[in-house]
Amino acid sequence: MSDWFSEPANWVFLVLALVIAVSAVRVVTSTNVVHSALFLVLALGATAGLFLLLSAEFVAWVLVLVYIGAVIVLFLFGIMITRAPTGPNVEMDHRPRAPAAMAAFLMFIVTAGSGLTAFGDQEITRLGDGTSTELIGEQLLQRFVIPFEVVSFVLLAALIGGITLARRDASPAEEEATEEEVQA
Amino acid sequence: MAPDIDYLALAPEITLAVTAVVVLLLDLFLPRRQKYWTAIVAVLGVSFAALPLIALAVSDVGDRAMLGGSFVVDDFALVLKGLFVIAGYLVLLMSVGYVESDRYYQGEYYFLLLMSILGSMVLASSRDLITLFIAVELVSQPMYLLAGWRKGDLRSNEASLKYFLLGVLASALLLYGMSFVYGLTGELTFAGIAAEGAGKAGEPAFIMAILFIIAGFGFKVSAVPFHFWAPDTYEGAPTPVAAYLSVSSKAAGFVALLVVLYSAFPDASGVWGPAVWILAALSMTLANLTALRQTNIVRLLAYSSVAQAGFMLVPFAAAATTDAVGLGEAFAATVTYIVIYAFMNLGAFAVVIAGARKTGTGDIEGWGGLGSYAPALGALAAVFFFSLAGIPPLAGWIAKLVMFGAAMGAGSPWMIALAVIAAINAVIALVYYARVVKTIWMDPVPATAPEEEVRTASVAGSLGLAIGLSAAVVVVAGFFPSLVTFFSDATKVLAGG
Amino acid sequence: MTVTVDWYLILAAVLFVIGAAGLLVRRNAIVMFMSIELMLNAVNLTFVSVGRELRDLTGQFAVFFVLVVAAAEVVVGLAIIVSIFRTRATASVDELSEMKG
Repeated sequence: MSDWFSEPANWVFLVLALVIAVSAVRVVTSTNVVHSALFLVLALGATAGLFLLLSAEFVAWVLVLVYIGAVIVLFLFGIMITRAPTGPNVEMDHRPRAPAAMAAFLMFIVTAGSGLTAFGDQEITRLGDGTSTELIGEQLLQRFVIPFEVVSFVLLAALIGGITLARRDASPAEEEATEEEVQA
Repeated sequence: MAPDIDYLALAPEITLAVTAVVVLLLDLFLPRRQKYWTAIVAVLGVSFAALPLIALAVSDVGDRAMLGGSFVVDDFALVLKGLFVIAGYLVLLMSVGYVESDRYYQGEYYFLLLMSILGSMVLASSRDLITLFIAVELVSQPMYLLAGWRKGDLRSNEASLKYFLLGVLASALLLYGMSFVYGLTGELTFAGIAAEGAGKAGEPAFIMAILFIIAGFGFKVSAVPFHFWAPDTYEGAPTPVAAYLSVSSKAAGFVALLVVLYSAFPDASGVWGPAVWILAALSMTLANLTALRQTNIVRLLAYSSVAQAGFMLVPFAAAATTDAVGLGEAFAATVTYIVIYAFMNLGAFAVVIAGARKTGTGDIEGWGGLGSYAPALGALAAVFFFSLAGIPPLAGWIAKLVMFGAAMGAGSPWMIALAVIAAINAVIALVYYARVVKTIWMDPVPATAPEEEVRTASVAGSLGLAIGLSAAVVVVAGFFPSLVTFFSDATKVLAGG
Repeated sequence: MTVTVDWYLILAAVLFVIGAAGLLVRRNAIVMFMSIELMLNAVNLTFVSVGRELRDLTGQFAVFFVLVVAAAEVVVGLAIIVSIFRTRATASVDELSEMKG
């Protein structure tokens, strides 16, 4: 047992895991939408830390850049545009909690239990050896070139459709006016 | 070091991608009154995408695999791609009049529809979990947006949100299953998973992974108990989008399910067989019983499409209990059902679009006497609804026949029980399909019906073409079933039969 | 005894289940959506940790694609929520009850 405590990687894991678990709970229980978003940042940031511990630097930094840099900002914009109540709001959940908790617990037993029986017990103690980013970059444009190209269309479709759906429609009169302006 | 790309094999996808981008650019420069050009370009592009498919089908190179076997163009992929192209073509034709008649964003509408078709094309060829997942997302994401395309309408908004939240949940379940499969086998290609997972069918983690994957695709094909988004989404979405969701999007889900279960988990059929059995029995029974109570024609078709998904799952369940030959038969039965279902359901939706224009309502009661003032439309409605019910000599009958054949061929008591359930459900389904036809032909014209001009106005040319093409396929395939079975037999390559 | 892949898998299961519970309990569309992000994060954690166990990079490719797709999903989801807001000023799922049955 003393071995366990003398290994710093174990401590790092434990702290990050606690941060993730606590902030994940806060994301779903907070009565304030903005707090939920900020706890989501914390959970994702700590996950990025775990990725570093698992020597997956590339995805760790992608997670930080894409999520904390862009996605959370989008969430905050979404909260503000829709003027969702940012203060505490007790009416935000009124589904029975007990059955949900039961369902969640059962699901945990199933997922964690089956996971435990399947995977080996190799120790993950030290930070990894060298960078894998170069290899990932190479493979992305070779073996994974088709999903890589296709995912760019997913992004394009989301972008175009998202803008069209979220923009404020001009009234027909306004549209006629701009149309004439263009033609003039 | 450039990757090894076979450009002919990718030509259909490239054609569609280029078309979509051209549509987007055209939309930018065309004045409002000439936006219909985007529709013309989209229709032409989808037609052109069929040309390389034919070239690939007649070439004697055989299967074309690239990128370590994660993208394969074999007969299975070609048949399904052909189906997606034709279904996409029909949906585009249906959309033309519908989208023009309201203040829709036309260019973006066609762009998103083309993106979704592109996704289904890639899906038919994907042979690894990552490519498959990305393709499924490209099929779904434009649809989340298009479901909410009637922006000012709260029902459309709700349709979109419901579909989106459940669709994303389905993706999460799917991915969690995939991550376990990867952890257990260390592979993401189906061939690799099949090889590595051979002795692992009994492991709890493997069972859980397969169940998560089935649940994820269950949402996409809207099988009970993962169907509850479908009726609301179909009703709220623009009707051509609902037609696309009920045909192409559902077929894409089935293709993914077929490919994953048959080629990645062939040894675990003892796990997925019973799961699919339950899904099939529940989907058929619950959806049919609910459909009996529907008063809105689109909701009726929504529940009908859930029930049809149940029928399509029957051969899957049968496949789990038989040998290799039976496996191939069951596989071909599902493909046959999907192909025939695509045409009859697209036709039914096209008739609904035309009928809603004439009667001014989606309530079945309001359709009374449609046959008296629009006899051609009434007759075609009868063709599609009776075909969905499986009445000979229409194509739906062939679909039911091969489905029962696969179930009985398996021979086990469980499969005979499922065949009995399916037979009872076919009778229940006949009740509500026939009720629509009865309303159209026997009931008097309701007092609320619109004026004479509206009722007798001719159907938009493109919509008429879509109805005509679907009807031709439904009738001709009913008399010459070999036309369909020729294609579905070709797909057996995947099942090794 | 040190940290093994099992610890990571349990953490991922906890995260996945918290997300699923949030989806069941919460009624605010934005928070439901955040719950799904938690579930996707659990998936990523599973992919990376089993990839590490297998000494294989493929898991990280999966994570890369999941992240990109999730980003696209966020765009789509928020666009839908904003469009609902434009029709009716709310982000609560319960108030959307035009259709029942």
